[in-house]
Amino acid sequence: MFDIQLMGLFNATLQAATLLFIAALGELITEKSGILNLGVEGMISVGAVTGFITAVNTGNIFISVLVGVFSAALFSSLHAFVTVVLKQDQTVSGLILTILGLSLSALMGKQYVGKKLPVKIESLVTIKEPTNIIEVLLSQNYIFFLSIILMISTAYMLKKTMFGRRLEAVGEDSRAADSMGLNVNKTQFIATCVGGGFSGLAGVYLTLSYVPYWTDNMTSGRGWIALALVIFGGWKPYRTAVGALLFGFLEALVPRLQTYGFELSPYLVKVTPYAITILILVVLTIYKGGRTGAPSNIGIPFFRESR
Amino acid sequence: MNKYLLSKKIVVNELSTFYSFVIGLTIGIGIGSIILLAQGQNPVDVFSLMLRLSIGSVKSISSSLNKATPLILAGLGISIINSVKLWNIGAEGQIFMGGIALNFIYISTEVTNPNFSILLLLLASFVGGAVCILFPAISKVLFGVNEIITTLLFNYIVIGLTVYLVNGPWKDPNSLNFPAAAYVGKEVYLPTVFGRLSYGFIICFLCTLGVHYLKEKSVFGYELRISGGSALTAIYAGINAKQKAFVAMLIGGGLAGLAGGVELLSQTHRVSTGLSQGFGYTAIIVAAITGMRPFGIFLVGSLFGALTIGGSVIQTMGVSSYIADVIQATTLFGALIAQFFFTYKITKVTEDV
Repeated sequence: MFDIQLMGLFNATLQAATLLFIAALGELITEKSGILNLGVEGMISVGAVTGFITAVNTGNIFISVLVGVFSAALFSSLHAFVTVVLKQDQTVSGLILTILGLSLSALMGKQYVGKKLPVKIESLVTIKEPTNIIEVLLSQNYIFFLSIILMISTAYMLKKTMFGRRLEAVGEDSRAADSMGLNVNKTQFIATCVGGGFSGLAGVYLTLSYVPYWTDNMTSGRGWIALALVIFGGWKPYRTAVGALLFGFLEALVPRLQTYGFELSPYLVKVTPYAITILILVVLTIYKGGRTGAPSNIGIPFFRESR
Repeated sequence: MNKYLLSKKIVVNELSTFYSFVIGLTIGIGIGSIILLAQGQNPVDVFSLMLRLSIGSVKSISSSLNKATPLILAGLGISIINSVKLWNIGAEGQIFMGGIALNFIYISTEVTNPNFSILLLLLASFVGGAVCILFPAISKVLFGVNEIITTLLFNYIVIGLTVYLVNGPWKDPNSLNFPAAAYVGKEVYLPTVFGRLSYGFIICFLCTLGVHYLKEKSVFGYELRISGGSALTAIYAGINAKQKAFVAMLIGGGLAGLAGGVELLSQTHRVSTGLSQGFGYTAIIVAAITGMRPFGIFLVGSLFGALTIGGSVIQTMGVSSYIADVIQATTLFGALIAQFFFTYKITKVTEDV
């Protein structure tokens, strides 16, 4: 009995972590280029609603995922346009993107609240009641495995490919990158849209698998957690994954605390990852002399003529 | 081959932020109309109803201004912190902390004079907001920890604390299943000036004047600008830039806390998760879009208050209140885009290749 409960907790941890991780990984790519996008919450929401609407209307899961990813990427291009092309403040633009994304998706999804989903993202292997860790892992759906592939390929992309090196160069010193002949604007624009696409994928995971329905504001702050995760992970994919598992574990643990007979307040337990993230950030800043892993140019618009 | 070069304009029109806001508002209303048309509504009807219900009568104007009050107060705080080129994304948390500190003092002290009690409670909310930003401020000035991230994360900690308090120690047994603290006594409600307009708005107006004086006319404001502008200049001028930044952050956090205190004493009358409806985030945008000018924040904040009231009442027409949010967001994006054309010059250069 206890085993099944424990496996349930593990399963819920993986599901919560997958969602957070995908969004955080996208934001990591965006931030690597020196663009801070605080609009993750809005982008997830847009991906979630468009994916859901497509799934209800077409019944095709593949198309739905694609629509969710691309509409969120398109949506994030608004942030890219305002901050990369027009050089406006990234903090402000990102916050507006959140408001716009949440309200637009609420408007779009109005007729879809409470609708049943005809399809669901399938699992690799269907196991009714997993009894050990391997079975739990195997019973995850395709997006979970996709997220692992994305993690490995992003880590590889950042360190080993031209695009990854370009991203890093642009994010660390955009002027030097520019004088080396890199197209800073193009790199930042692409990185922002890719980040948006990842958020969109997190969104479709939310509505097509994690909680298979649509309602207003159902992202419920997960986009902000994703932002915290990037910092927690020191802008490194694998460490971000560890952070996602920690945050996911706490999200899964909180509703179960009472059944385990703990007297701890679930509300205070929920706060601990944020406190941990702040502490990690402070400790990293002190011990590494400000080298937290944050791209040096983050939040600063690149402006060629200011050389 | 044609190339386009971007350069910053040396002289920027004084009123450019105002013009960009008007342009943005036009775009916002335009997009709002399109969405309304798509939903089969007549935009003219909806907007005229919104206007009537948000600024059409003394009663509705006062509701709008009450709604604007926390927005303006928090925005003023953000603008003070921004004079040293720092961001405060934690206004939302500071608003809650202001409410929590106020309620804490309310239940733990015994003051007989209601006027004195109100003053004490508002002071408590200010201190609460300042305490909430204390850690980010210390870690910023001592170790250089990014304040955008720490202030943002503190929002979750404080909102978590709020949820804990209203479900646990402070839970009012009379509120049935809705998690909220007990109402404060009627004697400490902020009185109304006329109509529904709360004295909170007067406080907010006085704070606007105060912040304007502080930022533009006082020595402290001058020192803040120098500290934010150039670290070297500050050293030459003998200004302790870190100390100034620290004080600015505490005042800014305090003003956001005061926003929570005023909102509690004039509107919600109790601590609950509904104490702030994203005021802290909207305040950042309002402050930024006005170029951090106190009077600009006052005006745009008031307008946003009206828009929020207008948005909440059109629901009776079967129109989603999210329309107001979309109009708000597109207005702001429009203003940002327009601002670009006021501050940058695009020159076409023809090059021979």
